[in-house]
Amino acid sequence: MPTWPEKRSVLGRRVRRADGPLKVTGAAKYTSDVQPAGCLYGMILRSKWPAARVTGIDLSEAVRSPGIKAAILVRDGERRVRYYGEELAAVAGTTKQACLDALRKITVRAQPLPFVVKEADGIQPDAPRVWDEAPNLSKPQVTERGQVDQAFAEAEVVVEGTYSTQVEIHHCLESHGNAAAWDGDELTVWSSTQGVFSVREGLAGNLGVDQSKVRVISEFMGGGFGSKFGPGVEGAIVARLAKQANAPVKLMLSRFEESLAVGNRPSSIQKVRLGATRAGKLVAYELDSYGTAGVGSGAATEGGGGGAEFPAPYIYTIPNTRVQHRGVALNAGAARAFRAPGHPQASFGIESILDELAVKLGLDPVELRLLNDPSEIRQREYRLGRDRFGWREKYRLPGSSPGPVKVGVGCAGATWGGGGGGTRAQAQINPDGSVEIRCGTQDLGTGTRTVMAMVAAEVFGLPPEAIRARLGDTAYPPSGGSGGSTTAASVSPAVYDACEKALAELQQQTGLEDVRGENWKPACRRLGLEPLVVSGQWQKGLSSSGVGGVQFAEVEVDTETGLVRVRKITCVQDCGLIVSRLTCESQVNGGIIMGIGYALYEDRVMDAGTGVVLNPNLETYKLPGIADIPEIDIVLVDMPERGVIGIGEPVTIPTASAIANAVANALGVRISSLPITPDKVLAALGQVKELTA
Amino acid sequence: MKESIAEPGILVNLRSIPGLDQIEPGDAQWVLGAGVTVAQIEDHAGLRRAFPGLHEAAAEVASRQIRNVATLGGNLAQHSRCWYYRHRDIYCLKKGGDTCHAREGENKFHSIFSGNPCISPMVSSLAVILTALDATVVVQREGETVTLTMTDLYQRAWDNPTLHHSLDRSDLILRVEVPTRWSRSAYLQVAEKAAFDWATVSCAAAVRVADGRIQEGRVVLGSVAPVPYQVAAANRLLQGQTWSDALGGSVAERLLRDATPFAHNGHKVPIARALIQRALRHVS
Amino acid sequence: MRDHAGLTGAKEVCDRGTCGACTVLLDGEPVYACMMLAIQAQGREITTVEGLARNGNLTALQEAFVDKDASMCGYCTPGFVMSLTALLRRNPHPTPADIHHACAGNLCRCGTQPRIVQAALQASGVEVLSRTEVISYAHLA
Repeated sequence: MPTWPEKRSVLGRRVRRADGPLKVTGAAKYTSDVQPAGCLYGMILRSKWPAARVTGIDLSEAVRSPGIKAAILVRDGERRVRYYGEELAAVAGTTKQACLDALRKITVRAQPLPFVVKEADGIQPDAPRVWDEAPNLSKPQVTERGQVDQAFAEAEVVVEGTYSTQVEIHHCLESHGNAAAWDGDELTVWSSTQGVFSVREGLAGNLGVDQSKVRVISEFMGGGFGSKFGPGVEGAIVARLAKQANAPVKLMLSRFEESLAVGNRPSSIQKVRLGATRAGKLVAYELDSYGTAGVGSGAATEGGGGGAEFPAPYIYTIPNTRVQHRGVALNAGAARAFRAPGHPQASFGIESILDELAVKLGLDPVELRLLNDPSEIRQREYRLGRDRFGWREKYRLPGSSPGPVKVGVGCAGATWGGGGGGTRAQAQINPDGSVEIRCGTQDLGTGTRTVMAMVAAEVFGLPPEAIRARLGDTAYPPSGGSGGSTTAASVSPAVYDACEKALAELQQQTGLEDVRGENWKPACRRLGLEPLVVSGQWQKGLSSSGVGGVQFAEVEVDTETGLVRVRKITCVQDCGLIVSRLTCESQVNGGIIMGIGYALYEDRVMDAGTGVVLNPNLETYKLPGIADIPEIDIVLVDMPERGVIGIGEPVTIPTASAIANAVANALGVRISSLPITPDKVLAALGQVKELTA
Repeated sequence: MKESIAEPGILVNLRSIPGLDQIEPGDAQWVLGAGVTVAQIEDHAGLRRAFPGLHEAAAEVASRQIRNVATLGGNLAQHSRCWYYRHRDIYCLKKGGDTCHAREGENKFHSIFSGNPCISPMVSSLAVILTALDATVVVQREGETVTLTMTDLYQRAWDNPTLHHSLDRSDLILRVEVPTRWSRSAYLQVAEKAAFDWATVSCAAAVRVADGRIQEGRVVLGSVAPVPYQVAAANRLLQGQTWSDALGGSVAERLLRDATPFAHNGHKVPIARALIQRALRHVS
Repeated sequence: MRDHAGLTGAKEVCDRGTCGACTVLLDGEPVYACMMLAIQAQGREITTVEGLARNGNLTALQEAFVDKDASMCGYCTPGFVMSLTALLRRNPHPTPADIHHACAGNLCRCGTQPRIVQAALQASGVEVLSRTEVISYAHLA
């Protein structure tokens, strides 16, 4: 089995992001910037009804509208729509205004149907059905281990609570979208995607063309977070529009559309019961949870499906557990994978109840975790983080901080799989000594280009700037989608393998023993006219999976206004072999900041009366701003012997739990639903009068 | 316009009217042209000394990019930010329909005082501080120049659900006159985010202090009513008093006495109470 | 700007004056391009992110962005660069609070904000050291 070199001169260093200069000068071209000659705009007509039977859509006026070159139905014939914003038809025209005008000229005949958009309403037996075939609330999936009832009966302490998490929207800054251009029966698509190959597969299947005739390019993309693996309805639409118009078409969704139809993190409403010994050892756990994946709950099964499950009791090993998950279908956009799917929800429920147990037992929350966390890695991380954060000095009994601005601390842990596989890469050494590395992966902003360049630089003994890393194209050797924190762990070994083989080949072809470093150029010159092209693939032994990570939060809560401000987050994260330290640290910042948004600000608000998303914008769907970001202290735990492991996901998991625990510690009362906004804080403090009317 | 709530056939660029972008200091009053940008107000050192509350309110308006183009007149005459009103596919009372969806719906950000069934609040932070400062607004109306108090400027929105202020379609704000008689002023707001977020509640206070006593005081709330909200009786409580937390408490109680929160905005009452105390403490 | 002049550095993210990705300088002051009609810019100087680097030489701020890794996906980056370019011209020695105030109108979803603050400070001549540490697992008690 191959291994990474013991002595590393490039890997693990802080190396400037390979495409940093392109990004700071505006030279980086994203899908939204692509403008093939004669390119038209595409735009989608969406349902104004949260539920309806659509009996007819008339495109005839739209087709005749000035500047319109194509108009299509998303689906022929009578159909149901199940959420506000579901795709109905689309046009392509010479300007955006032409498209907007044309969409208004499309008449839709529809019979509105009853709808339901709130979890609490959706679970009622008489609620309108999202899918005719089954009730909205699915049959429970129950898993049981041990003797739960008996364990609870015998437990010395039992705590219980209900914890809920909101629907969170990805809001990648570059919206979902594609540009499509046909050349005969060959299709080129520029796509803002996390998987050029998965988009190709999806499109080819959808359009009924050979995969070999579809090329997908994603040189730069503006964020995905789990929502951009497939072409989506909008991807198929743009290819069809381009075909009909006989011209390239670009269709980027608006922020409004992003809020409705391209994914979200499912909500959860978790009823949790936890039994323990007086010493704090966990003995029994029971979870009864439901949540919504919108129409995605039940989409696969035409009703009664899930989509909102999560691991429980998450990172803890408890001998007696009963876990019940249900999904409730609602007339709202379907969920998609979202950075560490299920885990932030899982973490919030268990870490909240754990702190409730600590309060009841009078135990320090870190001690309680050290007593129960089965992971040796996290145990060590907790001990290190505790000192670094100053936990012992900062921790006080819940609510004992003097007011009116109270201070509190909290902590939480995470786990994530990650791991690599299924990737090929190609190294090309040119006679002038320049190097190109090609891999059909994509860079979501995580630094994949930089990782590729650094790995090659390590092998060849060259500076990373000397390596040209090319990615984001199905013309390159295949790689998987960038999800599950697998990219670095998939791509680095493949590039390493290709470069190691290329190095050996170069030695052999030139007859030189040492071709690295300063010998590089003279050696390459001996190649003559023909560049050396060598393929490699992911190899076992260079990557692995499974990380932990713990975080500590310090917050202040203004008990008169209900405002929560995060003062500090300390993160201790195990990483395997750190490839690119600078971009790795950036990812940790990113995960934590996304966790802060989940903890305090973000919430998709559905309106029960009209069935629409009330905050389909970045004005009232609130992302954390620069002034909301606390001091973030990061410790990366290097474990090079394990090989490369991704960390993009674990770092976002425990943040909200740690913040919620810190708020509870500050106040002495818990806000058990995310996001923790002033209205909830003041209500928990008994400052909001109950309405009598 | 981008949400098709307004679809004007003709746009008139008011920024091309000369003379509207001046800030003129004065002994009795400062005169601010309607075309003065919010950034100009934020950056003006003399204005900041004369009216700290106005500076604080201006600095909290949106973001630098907006403040660079947003004008004083535009800020005062802005329309509701209610998410039902702003939704392209919702036809509500304010748009001429027959239902205020917020009353039974998602009303976390809505009014706790209203003289009409629409509960979308007035959210101009400059209006809140200018009301506290007893500013007057000079408006061109049908060829005449009329002077309105800040109360006049919003009064018609109190009981008419379709209005955002008292201006007629052909009215044009020319300038705002701010009297200098105040010793101190302050503006505070609570929003969910630290910056670039609409206030959940905003509060402005201005006092005239002489001989160690408050001779005259004004406390005004924003984001709680269709108008900048003040109660004359609450202001009178300050007259002739020296500062104490108890005084602040009684002003807050009087100001908030008639609050009628809805299902999701009861928190505005304690937030307003805290802001009234803090703003008054600050200026006193 | 994007469609006719091919200047695609400014991005369309929200199209409603809420995210800052389309920030450009109008006569040196940052504005949202999405909230301005072309006719309003008549006779005025517009600077986009493409206009900062001269002959391929990045500005000190752009260099600092790369050094501190203040971009991830990069989609918000041009907007932040423009907001901070204007700030540094107005105030060459900003405090972190000044930087927050200047960038309140710019959103980032990847979470580059801490490093944007560091980059702005570095560009103003303040040396910023990272406190981030790498610790070997073997040394973890």
